Amino acid sequence: MTIRCRLTLWYAGVLAVSLLLISWAVYAEFAEQYHRHHHTSGESPLDEIGEIVMSVGLPAMVLGVAAGWWMTRRALKPIANLTKAAKEIDERTLGRLLPRSNNGDELDELAAVLNAMQTRLNEAFRQIREFTLHASHELKTPLTVMYGESETALRDEDLPPAERERHLSQLDELRRLSKIVDGLTLLTRADSGQLNLKMEPLRLDELARDLHGDAVILAEPMAVSVELAACEPLAVMGNAHRLRQLFLNLADNAVKYNKPGGRIVMSLRPSGRVAEFVITNTGPGIRADILPRVFDRFFRGDPAHGNDVEGCGLGLSIAQWIASAHGGAIRIESVPSDVTTVTLHLPLMAGGGGPVRVG
Amino acid sequence: MRVLIVEDEKKTASFIRKALQDAGFAADVCHNGNDAIAAAVGTPFDAVVLDIMLPGRDGLSVLRYLRDSKNTTPVLLLSARGEVDERVEGLNAGADDYLAKPFALVELVARVRALGRRGAGESKSAVLRVGDLTLDTITREARRDGKKFDLTVREYRLLEFLMRSAGRICGRMAILEKVWDYDFDPGSNLVDVYIKRLREKIDAGFEVKLFHTVRGMGYMMKEEP
Repeated sequence: MTIRCRLTLWYAGVLAVSLLLISWAVYAEFAEQYHRHHHTSGESPLDEIGEIVMSVGLPAMVLGVAAGWWMTRRALKPIANLTKAAKEIDERTLGRLLPRSNNGDELDELAAVLNAMQTRLNEAFRQIREFTLHASHELKTPLTVMYGESETALRDEDLPPAERERHLSQLDELRRLSKIVDGLTLLTRADSGQLNLKMEPLRLDELARDLHGDAVILAEPMAVSVELAACEPLAVMGNAHRLRQLFLNLADNAVKYNKPGGRIVMSLRPSGRVAEFVITNTGPGIRADILPRVFDRFFRGDPAHGNDVEGCGLGLSIAQWIASAHGGAIRIESVPSDVTTVTLHLPLMAGGGGPVRVG
Repeated sequence: MRVLIVEDEKKTASFIRKALQDAGFAADVCHNGNDAIAAAVGTPFDAVVLDIMLPGRDGLSVLRYLRDSKNTTPVLLLSARGEVDERVEGLNAGADDYLAKPFALVELVARVRALGRRGAGESKSAVLRVGDLTLDTITREARRDGKKFDLTVREYRLLEFLMRSAGRICGRMAILEKVWDYDFDPGSNLVDVYIKRLREKIDAGFEVKLFHTVRGMGYMMKEEP
């Protein structure tokens, strides 16, 4: 039961009891007067009181309850507003404060206290983001030094083979580490809204065709076939570098998580007001219970057999960020041991609306 | 060719200097912005390697100062941030190239060499030659020992880039940038797979191998048995 219903019922109860008390007092008064004057004719006091209660008391009470219903609504309105505003707050909109009535009542005070809490949380979030951002910058200098030292050592022709091997493996790990640091920098900057992508009109079909060519080559060592089933001319407003990164990431995953002799099918089609790029691949697939987590940062899937695939653990998080920065979205569905389907939606270029015709 | 290195981190400065010296350049080092300006104004350098984050006067401000005083020495910017917008800002301020930290020294050396060539005005010959392999950049035909190869557009661009840098190591990032127009590492073994294909097409069946892998660094084309 809502607070409003409860308050109104209490209010109705109180009104009813007071009506009864008043009726009883009035009845006592009437009865006394009746006996004093020994009236023999006319109505009994009970009838008279009943009449008054029915004709005046009850309507007054109904009116009172209705007024109470309306009053509680008014009184509780700020709570409804608070609820609505609070629902819209997540880690990205922590800076947006709750609305205040500034009338100094309890609810206004509550809003003020919640706002103060939110400001503290926002500050804590900002500090964490800034920490990650600084950490990733600070890591780059020592990484550069280590990279350079290994490379300089490798240039020495007389380096013993064991030493050479050690430096080479170190270079591989350093490369991986810098990829992780780069990804982290990118995502942290995106989180704190520091990244503004320069958008320009782009032909998605050209990107898809390029990607198909690269995917064919990437898939060759695993004897995976790559088919571009549909490639309709579509234009979006987008950042060429980032969209290429996104597309390549999806194709790369489709190859990495495939099975030898498997199959990849890509298609690009308009779907309402969005461009729909679908890429399916055969392979072990993703279990339903871990599917919702594949976009999480550093999520590596099944620990039992997830580590044989090289990667930095940020690819899909970055892909998802790129898609949402373009006003789009990525969805993954998977039937384990069968087919995994990744669907990317990107809003078509405004104005053009539908597919572009090229002359 | 004489290069000025402006980098406050001493170790980084010292191995950049060593790498450039090994590549046959003369290299001077300074560790802050004001020294850099004094050095660049006093000495005619062929290229400047300039870190953005410097104590006192930062790299971008040094660069703007040089350009404002009509100094046109080619500048390669180094940065630990490595963001596209920073790259754009650097290029707008008059930089000729940009490299994000951490970088591979082979990439740095290749870029500095390219800057030097830019100053000298490089002649682009129409037919490239490595050993008995020729690539006609007008007809886009690759031939070796009378045998003609079918190349995709991407394979052609890759081959042209490698042949133009014949005898020098080409890092993966440089290849990705010049052949694929990626200015980020896509985290994929695209380059390696393409090189493997070119190798299968062009080197298979020949005694003399032209494609060489320099482990940990990149690839190189040269004539070697």
